[in-house]
Amino acid sequence: MKYLILTYGSQQDYDALSGKPASGVPAWSPADFAAMGAFMESFTRELSESGELVETRGLTAPVHARRLRLQGGVPVVTDGPYAETEEVLAGYWVVECDSFDRATEIAGRLSQCPGPEGVAERAYADVRPVAESQAGLDL
Amino acid sequence: MPATTVEDLLRQLAPQVLGAVVRRYGHFDTAEDATQEALLAAATQWPTGGIPDNPRGWLITVASRRLTDLLRSEQARQRREETVARWMLPGQRVAPPADRPAADFDDTLILLFLCCHPSLSAASQIALTLRAVGGLATAEIARAFLVPEATMTRRISRAKQQIAASGVPFRMPAGPGRAARLAAVLHVLYLIFNEGYSATSGPRLRRGELTGEAIRLARLVHRLLPDDGEVTGLLALMLLTDARGAARTGPDGELVPMADQDRSRWDRALIAEGVALITRALPRGPTGPYQLQAAIAAVHDEAPSAGATDWPQITALYELLMRILDNPVVALNHAVAVAMARGPRAGLDLLGNLEADQRIAADHRLQAVRAHLLEMAGDTAAARDAYLAAARRATNLPQQRYLHARAARLAGP
Repeated sequence: MKYLILTYGSQQDYDALSGKPASGVPAWSPADFAAMGAFMESFTRELSESGELVETRGLTAPVHARRLRLQGGVPVVTDGPYAETEEVLAGYWVVECDSFDRATEIAGRLSQCPGPEGVAERAYADVRPVAESQAGLDL
Repeated sequence: MPATTVEDLLRQLAPQVLGAVVRRYGHFDTAEDATQEALLAAATQWPTGGIPDNPRGWLITVASRRLTDLLRSEQARQRREETVARWMLPGQRVAPPADRPAADFDDTLILLFLCCHPSLSAASQIALTLRAVGGLATAEIARAFLVPEATMTRRISRAKQQIAASGVPFRMPAGPGRAARLAAVLHVLYLIFNEGYSATSGPRLRRGELTGEAIRLARLVHRLLPDDGEVTGLLALMLLTDARGAARTGPDGELVPMADQDRSRWDRALIAEGVALITRALPRGPTGPYQLQAAIAAVHDEAPSAGATDWPQITALYELLMRILDNPVVALNHAVAVAMARGPRAGLDLLGNLEADQRIAADHRLQAVRAHLLEMAGDTAAARDAYLAAARRATNLPQQRYLHARAARLAGP
């Protein structure tokens, strides 16, 4: 079975990650940022080596998002549609493993990601089974 | 026999083997698959069993046998024979004369021209070049470009089918079209290098494997066309740029601009090689954009310190480059050189013209340069705003962190 592991962040969180001064949350120091990068690299490498990783991506800040919506029958674009503190998708991993519990265990390891005070306590990840076929939906 | 030695040898032989097989039998797309299988067989057998006396002959024999098998099964399925003639020129259907010069090297070059055919998209040209000429496996190419392997497999097989369907003959492009085709080859190598040198996303800035592969391929083309100034220029540009690679990031992976780089970490051997190449190429003329960019890189690399950089010379070289290349990033670099040579206000004046250029007006690099020049001019408040504006436009976290750090240094009371 395939599972999607999702992580979230707000524009404020991204600003802190990018070292923006006075962004509401304390900015990440160079050491914090490097430690996070090293953790993510080894987390993804282990998944890749165990053969469980299908795909992973990190997304750019919510401010770069565009939203499309029909207005009077034509698609209209809104740039940066999210509020500063709204938590939106920040990155994902698609993993293929034996059980929901194993996927949950993988996602649980993300809580060990180093970061400034308080960041880990506020962060969360979701695990969702991927609907691959009719059989999958019938589960 | 260490596996790395075998791998180096195989990567070097890959285009020669494919070239020889295509020249003999045609069927570029199937021949490419057969060559990959021969390389794979060698990669598993040679490290333990030893390298055969004539490795190139061994690979050609195994690839040819495999090609025959593949074609037989394909023909049974869809009568592919009818297309054979398309890949074989009438002159190629008879055995070549015995006194024909050994064609290994020419074939490598023909392969490159084929892989960089203008009917293919840039992404396909790059993928096909890395596989057919570079001898990289599809999985490796997929990893380097951060796409799923299935996507890369489709991209490569589609590119091969397009080439087969276009009916391009397996021979050197001739006449005035040749220069344009060579320019396309050089552009593909340049794109591969840049992809490795400045990864467009993610926490890590550098994907060294691609820069290494681009340099290896540029060396190969330079060996085949030693008198072409632009080929020499491109190789020199890559070496002179890669020489600074290690100094571009600090201990925590943060970006370090050239002015602040520890020049003792620059690779002296690469610099010496690049400088020697460009010094020999320049006086021969005609001078193209790669030679000029290499000359600029050489001036930077030879400066003992940022302060001792010969900015008037760099300014003059950018002015020559702007005459042959209408590119706003070149104009932006020119503005920086002018600022360093004649003062920040002269550079800022030039940025005014660029703000009307739609190709770069919204680019974070324009604001970043403005910020640096304002800081040089002592206008800290405006510089800080420009750094923040640049960071807002950038999508790459290390770049954003660099720009925010510059802004933070200028924070008011």
